[in-house]
Amino acid sequence: MVIALMTWFVTIIFGLLLGTYLCFRLEKHGVKRWGATGKLFHYNPKGEE
Amino acid sequence: MVYLVVLGFYIAFVIWASLKSLKQAESMSDFTTGGHRMGLMLGIGTTTATWVSVASVMGVPGYLYSNGVSAIIGWVAGWFLATALFPIVAYKIRRPKTPARTFPEYIHLRFEPFRRISHLRTIVGAVMFIGYFLFVHLQVVGFGIVFSTITNIQYEYAIFAFLIFLLFTSIGGFWSVAATDTLNTTLIVIGVILGGASVLAATGGLGNIIDTMSSTTSPTNIGGDAIPEGSMISPVGTFGLGALFAIFMSNAVGSIVSPHWVTRMLAPKNIKVAILQIMGSLLVLTAIFIPLIIMGLGAKTLMPSLPADRTTDYIIPLIVQEYSPPLFGALTLVALCAAAVSSANSMLLHCATSIYYDVYLNIFSEKKITEKKFNMNLRIGMFVIAVIAVVSAITPPWFLAMGFTYVYGGFGAVFFAVVILGLYWKRMNRAAAYVSMLVGLFAYIAAQFASATNPFLIALGASLVGVFMVVFFTPKPPVEAYEPYFKADVSQSTQETFYHIQKNETDQSVVSDEEKLARKDA
Repeated sequence: MVIALMTWFVTIIFGLLLGTYLCFRLEKHGVKRWGATGKLFHYNPKGEE
Repeated sequence: MVYLVVLGFYIAFVIWASLKSLKQAESMSDFTTGGHRMGLMLGIGTTTATWVSVASVMGVPGYLYSNGVSAIIGWVAGWFLATALFPIVAYKIRRPKTPARTFPEYIHLRFEPFRRISHLRTIVGAVMFIGYFLFVHLQVVGFGIVFSTITNIQYEYAIFAFLIFLLFTSIGGFWSVAATDTLNTTLIVIGVILGGASVLAATGGLGNIIDTMSSTTSPTNIGGDAIPEGSMISPVGTFGLGALFAIFMSNAVGSIVSPHWVTRMLAPKNIKVAILQIMGSLLVLTAIFIPLIIMGLGAKTLMPSLPADRTTDYIIPLIVQEYSPPLFGALTLVALCAAAVSSANSMLLHCATSIYYDVYLNIFSEKKITEKKFNMNLRIGMFVIAVIAVVSAITPPWFLAMGFTYVYGGFGAVFFAVVILGLYWKRMNRAAAYVSMLVGLFAYIAAQFASATNPFLIALGASLVGVFMVVFFTPKPPVEAYEPYFKADVSQSTQETFYHIQKNETDQSVVSDEEKLARKDA
């Protein structure tokens, strides 16, 4: 049971880490149209370019 | 009575939300991807609701009930891994200034940008139509089980009630689906938490559930074969390692490249919103799956064996009715209905769009229709498909969760190379796209008929071998095909190519009403 639950939790953590890494890459590109705002988890609600 | 009252409120709210959102669907792009302007909160709501289907809320607890914790690895972890990987698709596919409006349109833009009629797009549309028809069919089965439990109407008649939900939640296109999905997500979260709490209270706690799983040998159905002692607590259960790995891979890899998920990544305002939407959904989904796992495993303590004439898909409706207080039970069962509705409406939209826009209008591109007419034809198409799906569900052939695994496996085998390699490898070209899709499709069908242990991996392997055999012996793709997915600023010729496909050529059959009047005046 522990193995099954651990497998599941690892996928959740992996997802959050991968998302964070891609947000970081996005900020590094700095393209506003893609969503870069200067802050890692911040997004522009108006979606301006 | 409480069940019917809660269900009545739910129906009324769905109709109100759907009619309200009708006003937002004006253009063709609005109808298919929400005009690429979806915000974060609505995105989390609609992503979660589409994710949580009858396979999740009924099929997975059914497998937890019959096979124990191994279902967590096969389905829950498989689907969560896919969700974790969705951002790698979003990171690329949302880059163009004017992204594709449907999945087959992405295929057209990426692999056949200079062709007016894209045969690749037609093949993709046809495969999608079959896959999404099966998905809608499975949602109808799940809905029928719950609706017949709530109303005591026979299953064969209960499934027809689904048409009402499907019609109202689909008529406004993407915005209609998204609006009702957010409501559905809220209902699903509340319903499964109440259901999970009721089962936990009825079993006497987690300790009792684990004790029962460790020692039980009760057959799944009364009169059936006893299950091996300890199999429910084993990570591979009665599946065996090979079969469980096959299920895990089909669910994980197949889901990433499924057209409806690729399309979801096109709907948000930008890439950042798409990624955050998935991260937020992962957290909401975790809150949904903890109680679902408790319900599926706890059911074995409460009801050691199912009646002989009931499949494991019935386990949640049965224990909820038996062991939950009426209001909790009603909210849980309405949550199951919401899961069926929220996935089916989205898949119905994909099913109709693929056959009408990507197959029919792609082949008969000389036809001229207004956006209003386009939306109306799509609605008629959805109605016809919904009716056929309901009729086909009178005698369901598969278990819900396994049905999803078959379709996801097929999608993965056919679309993996064109999505992942297409987005991340400039060299991926038209010939390789044809080979990967056709080899993947036929290898998957052949492996299924041969009852191979892992048909998905066999087909994916064959598809990738085909790609590498072809790609280096055929011309490189034109820069216009891949540039938007690798650069922020594209060349003039790439911009024009995108414009021609999206506005002038294939899509010239769909003209705005103003444009039509202008032509008439001229």
